[in-house]
Amino acid sequence: MRIFFPSLLVWIVTPIAMFAAEVHPPSQMSAGVSFSMPSSGGGQGTLYLIGPAHLSKRQVNLGTDIEVDGDEVERAGRYTVILCTDQCSASEFYVHPAGPDRLSLLVHPSRVPVSNPNAISAVAVVWDVYHNLELSPETVKFTVNPDEHTSLSEARTTNNGIAWIRLTSAAKSGVVKLEASVGKVSEIRVVQQVASDACNLRIRASSASKKIMVETDPVRDCSGNFVPDGTVVSFTMTDSAGKTTVDVPIKRGVAKVEMPAHGRARITAASGVVTGNELDLGGGE
Amino acid sequence: MKKTIMRRVLLTLTTAVVIFAPASFVIVRADDSLPKVSLNADNLGPRSIEELTSKVITRDYAFAWQTMVEALEQNRPDLLDGYFTGTAKQDLTQRIADQKKTDVRVRYLDHGHKLDAIFYSPAGDAMQLRDHANLEVNVMDGQKVIHSEQVNLQYIVLMTPGADRWLVRDLEVAPEAKH
Repeated sequence: MRIFFPSLLVWIVTPIAMFAAEVHPPSQMSAGVSFSMPSSGGGQGTLYLIGPAHLSKRQVNLGTDIEVDGDEVERAGRYTVILCTDQCSASEFYVHPAGPDRLSLLVHPSRVPVSNPNAISAVAVVWDVYHNLELSPETVKFTVNPDEHTSLSEARTTNNGIAWIRLTSAAKSGVVKLEASVGKVSEIRVVQQVASDACNLRIRASSASKKIMVETDPVRDCSGNFVPDGTVVSFTMTDSAGKTTVDVPIKRGVAKVEMPAHGRARITAASGVVTGNELDLGGGE
Repeated sequence: MKKTIMRRVLLTLTTAVVIFAPASFVIVRADDSLPKVSLNADNLGPRSIEELTSKVITRDYAFAWQTMVEALEQNRPDLLDGYFTGTAKQDLTQRIADQKKTDVRVRYLDHGHKLDAIFYSPAGDAMQLRDHANLEVNVMDGQKVIHSEQVNLQYIVLMTPGADRWLVRDLEVAPEAKH
């Protein structure tokens, strides 16, 4: 008796389970592409489609092909299809990105000193038209245009949708264009290469009526680029009255200052970590 | 005299229990509801991860999942504001809108996440992670559970730093690689 009832239950339930309506989606497909799924059973059922950014519920005729619009499967990822009559059955499928169509390009920094090794980094993220991360390997070409006539390129393969590169800034200051491209898609960023620290800082002085005029030569970096206006040059004068320091920003390539004269004086100049020549003056009398 | 002292001590203890018990209960509950997240950054590059960042990433990803589960459970897209941005937020907001429209709801029971950090940009402005998530997923139509499954899913996650936390910018389920 104990064995009989469970066995009877199995005999009753098994045929019902065997005839539960089912839907058979393709195991994988491309984002945004319409498709149809064959279904089994008869009469009507309720179909649920659940994806990363989509959830729908509708009545369907069983035993026919069930159409799914492309706009229901635009986001890549895992989808679950549930078909319910008296019972529910579920299946899953994956939607893959539709192929490279967009690029996000992150370039840092936007302003960089010249001749700085590996100072610029560029990260390219590859997306499809529906903004799904393109996970299959793609070749991204990074191109640098230091000037109108020169162009340097290097290719990198994406790993999980991302490719990156490090670059050394050029010796000459100015604007450099950095382009990343995959297929027909490209993105450009501009990096301003500015002069590095001052190099060979030289000063000269002239005296007139108890005043000393001190002026730098045009301030350049070691590659010969003009150090940007606004960069501070510190002038220090040591005389019988003590030590006086004046900070002066570079204007039109040079920094100049007017200082009072009290007999003999020694004047030095510095910008950042660079010091210039020393001047020994006899006084303004 | 002794009885009075004893009574006062008992009264003080009872008051303390009444005041502090709910507070400790809230703290325990908060810890309990936060999913377990572990991070492996052994193969991370090109930038190496700072210790503080690895702690923050782990914490914020756990909070992101906690708020996502709550947002889907309660049909509240506002809960996503804290830890989601970009396409991840758009996708979940759309899902919640669809849930409201259909009265169908997806409920997650989160059994934990094993994160592999796979890319950290040189400037520190983006991190990509692979999440091996262990979840129980229940689909409900109204109050009726129409589908239930236990799944191990592989998510590819893109996180970017916000003002005081890391935000999930992209969350994509990828099929497990077949070897």
